[in-house]
Amino acid sequence: MSKKVKVIPCSGIGKVYGLMAREAVLKTVHELCADKAETVCLGYIVTGDKELKEKMEGQNCITVDGCPKMCASKNVSIAGGIVKEEVKVMDTVKEHKGKKFGSPTRLDADGEAVTSEIAAKIAKKINEIV
Amino acid sequence: MSDVKIGIISCSGEECLGGTISRLATRKVLEELRPKETVTICLPLFLAGGEEERGFAKVFPTIAVDGCDKLCAKRGTEKHSGKINASIDISKIIGTENALNKKVVRNQDLKPEHFRMIDKIADEIVKAMKGVDPGASVKPCGCCCGGKC
Repeated sequence: MSKKVKVIPCSGIGKVYGLMAREAVLKTVHELCADKAETVCLGYIVTGDKELKEKMEGQNCITVDGCPKMCASKNVSIAGGIVKEEVKVMDTVKEHKGKKFGSPTRLDADGEAVTSEIAAKIAKKINEIV
Repeated sequence: MSDVKIGIISCSGEECLGGTISRLATRKVLEELRPKETVTICLPLFLAGGEEERGFAKVFPTIAVDGCDKLCAKRGTEKHSGKINASIDISKIIGTENALNKKVVRNQDLKPEHFRMIDKIADEIVKAMKGVDPGASVKPCGCCCGGKC
């Protein structure tokens, strides 16, 4: 079984912050920490399949959530993953008041920039864990 | 046109292209093709949310849009919310090899051919909407209250 840190975003479909969570995680696992981290479909985690639970049980995870409902964190915990860090998109967004980030479909330039910032924070956490 | 909205639930899977296409095709229907006739909810909210969120598929006639044949949106919705009215398996339309492409997942990596796939799936969602009985919901209030408001 892979020992890579599992980084799971909410990918929320209703707001830009869900897209920012998703794109930040994908940048992290595809580009910044490809050798140390991977993602798992949150939709698959929701199914609660036995195979999925075996994959998640006791694994180090970082969750990235776009809203206070904390869907990624809660679902990963239910699946047996160990949430080492809960990254909240809003924590970084608050540092960029007045900027327009885009829509749930596509990020504007500021959205891309802040998403990269979030990805860098995730990468830092991964390097602390591994 | 019926006042009852149709719920579209995307798997939004993060591991492969099919998930990205499910998310963007669903957004295209919500924003461009049928904005007044559709609503959505985040799939993981069925577990992270409350009774109101879990009532979604009981309130709205619902279409699940899945990026691969694991059918997580379909199975997750039926397990935690209610029976769905239609299901789209993207891998059956764009091919399994495309759907399970793990290299092209980020929005910025999408090429014109991928946007054509998104358009095709969005059209399939609209087609599926035509076969859904709008009377299949509990209460046509237009929100996800679970019939409480």
